[in-house]
Amino acid sequence: MTDEAQDVIGDYRYGFHDPENSTIRFDQGLSEQVVRDISELKNEPQWMTDIRVKAYRHFVERVMPEWGNCDLLNMIDFESITYFLRSSNKTEKSWDDVPDDIKNTFNRLGIPEAEQKWLGGVTAQYESEAVYHSIREDLEEQGVIFLDMDSGLKQFPEIIKKYFGTVIPYSDNKFSALNTAVWSGGSFLYIPKGISVEMPVQAYFRINAKNMGQFERTLIIADEGSSVHYVEGCTAPSYSTDSLHSAVVELIAMEGAKIRYSTVQNWSSNVYNLVTKRAVAHKNATIEWVDGNIGSKLTMKYPSVLLKGEGAHAEVISVAYAGEGQHQDTGAKVHHLASNTTSNIISKSISKKGGRSSYRGLLQVTPKSSGCRSKIVCDALILDENSRSDTYPTMEIGNSTADLEHEASVSKVSSDQLFYLMSRGFTEEAAMGLIVNGFFEPFTRELPMEYALELNKLLELEMEGSIG
Amino acid sequence: MIYQQMAIPPRSEHLWRYTPWPRIHPTVPTEVPIADEVIFSLEGGGALEEVPSTMSSVDDIARAFLQAAGGSSNRLLINDESEPIHINARASGHVAVGHLELEIKGSAVVFIHISGEPEWVGVHITGKIHPNSHLSFGFINELDSNTKFLRCEDWMIERDGELEHATLSVGGFRCKSDIRSTLNGTGASIRQSVTVNADGARHEDEHVEIHHLHGHTNSDLVMNSACAGNSHFIGTGLLTIAEGANKSDASQVFRNLLLSEKARAEAIPELEVLADDVSAAHGAASAPVDKNQLHYLMSRGLSPEESQAMIVNGFLLNAFSNLTNKYLIEEMRTRLTVHLECELKR
Repeated sequence: MTDEAQDVIGDYRYGFHDPENSTIRFDQGLSEQVVRDISELKNEPQWMTDIRVKAYRHFVERVMPEWGNCDLLNMIDFESITYFLRSSNKTEKSWDDVPDDIKNTFNRLGIPEAEQKWLGGVTAQYESEAVYHSIREDLEEQGVIFLDMDSGLKQFPEIIKKYFGTVIPYSDNKFSALNTAVWSGGSFLYIPKGISVEMPVQAYFRINAKNMGQFERTLIIADEGSSVHYVEGCTAPSYSTDSLHSAVVELIAMEGAKIRYSTVQNWSSNVYNLVTKRAVAHKNATIEWVDGNIGSKLTMKYPSVLLKGEGAHAEVISVAYAGEGQHQDTGAKVHHLASNTTSNIISKSISKKGGRSSYRGLLQVTPKSSGCRSKIVCDALILDENSRSDTYPTMEIGNSTADLEHEASVSKVSSDQLFYLMSRGFTEEAAMGLIVNGFFEPFTRELPMEYALELNKLLELEMEGSIG
Repeated sequence: MIYQQMAIPPRSEHLWRYTPWPRIHPTVPTEVPIADEVIFSLEGGGALEEVPSTMSSVDDIARAFLQAAGGSSNRLLINDESEPIHINARASGHVAVGHLELEIKGSAVVFIHISGEPEWVGVHITGKIHPNSHLSFGFINELDSNTKFLRCEDWMIERDGELEHATLSVGGFRCKSDIRSTLNGTGASIRQSVTVNADGARHEDEHVEIHHLHGHTNSDLVMNSACAGNSHFIGTGLLTIAEGANKSDASQVFRNLLLSEKARAEAIPELEVLADDVSAAHGAASAPVDKNQLHYLMSRGLSPEESQAMIVNGFLLNAFSNLTNKYLIEEMRTRLTVHLECELKR
């Protein structure tokens, strides 16, 4: 890596990039032909091509969002982005068969180690498509399907056709339209009735090329009484030009099912991370979004839950860290569409070195939903005078029996806490690090141990030099 | 910019999300109807100074519309006044508009009571609180239940100035208020309370903006609403703390009490904080009447209606808990209690 590149990425440890050895690379820019070419290249059924084309036309007509960080959003140059890049001709099942340069990348990220130690399955996506995929045999025997989305479409077209776009239609927003038009890769996970997947399954998304757009599409269906924990990690190298990550994630939890979806997003500071994530929870089902946002230039992500069945529950825990030049516009949306549904949202954010963090949330109780309960807590820390924190919560209450609470606070690190720790021998920097880790503790305790340790390390790295 | 050149604001702005401009405009957005005057008069006699209406450039469509519509234009300068000043604002006709400018030096207590039966009424109040001055201000909306009401207020509070601002809104059919205060000097402070009792098909949209431009400024907002029938209440707050406005202390609390199955309430307390050494907090809560409280009162001989009215009274009175001026508290409490008693007898 050149010194110049090192200067750009600073302490970002995943900022390395490997030489780009693509087997297929589309020209930059987007057109209906590009959309059709992606579909043809993947040999997709006609119905998928039709959806892609409709979505593309909607994308073209749809205006950019008029809320959020419009200045940054309007800087996205859709014509300078590469919409499809294939780095390997097939998805390997054995780690040894993965091309060496890609394998090296994931080795440096620690993916094979993690798989051996504590994962039920893993998908590694490099640029537009999955390059490696595996699932433990015992889970496969129980009927658990864990595939990359392209393979899922080939092998289980009926299931995909039934559920694709039902939670997030292409007309939902401009970026869901874009994703539906050019999606590639992502995960397809189906858990049969009554099966509980004890070990988390993981997907790792890596952008390696310049001006790359990654548009993975994930669909998770947990059938009645089943449960699963899905973990995703995201990194990209730093370039002087921007990349775009615009994923769509749809979760469906049938009666009594439970899905936990954990994300540790650590994109480099030149990535636009504009993701639509939404879940449907049927009767007595539980959806948990555990969402950590550390990297990216602009993140706009509001994991949502539609509580459609009586007794369904939603839990959203999110943390955001906005450093220099970053805007983390994150939050959560919960729609109580059925009676006796409950939700709990915890949001924590830190702004440092001129970074901006925004909580944007929506809590809705429809008129027919009685006995709903919800609690939202948003806390923000601002570490210096150049940084900014915003809170934009919305509560729409249409039923008189709803019991809802929202509380939020913005403050700086308490000098009493700093003094207490320093009087016990910690340096100011170490004391600050401890306080920040403690501040994020409601999030880290929900992560698998390895991820929690990783996150703490990342935060320590980010906190370096934050004093004075 | 003048009204005719303005685009209708998109609903993506929270300010216009639930009561879009076409819904509160008296006719159709392209029109500026000829407005009758809202008559401002001092209780106990006396007239307010009439001033020529001025045209200045404004960004907000509601203010630009009120400016274009004309109507009455009055001013009141107060230099230390120990007794409360009551201003009656009387509106009638198809469309009525009034502008009132207040300027306070020293201390004063001012009440504005708006009433009448026009189809549509719009009021724009601007106020300036000079350094070291103090105003306790109460606004009581007792308009006819078929009237549409648009209210804009702009307050500028200078160094060590203080504004206590209370709203009691019990009248009108569709009401939209947009109250903006700027803490424009070190030590400036505002304590604001909004109390809304909505029934029938009333639609009430209250927007409160408080801008901390300097350090050591304080703000405290409490917004309580009780909604019955098919009523719909929207409370939106925007609290900004500017860069460098350190040692500012700001809080917002929104509480909604929903009394019927079809009543709806929205709460959107927004914060934008650009300074690091501040204390800023907001909270929002929405809940039905506590069954234990109802049971307690009914077990002491009150009917279910009386019990509920008592709980609602207590809940709404609580919104005035952050006020300190005894005249202001007393007037607002009395007006609220009388309104609730009348409602109970209906």
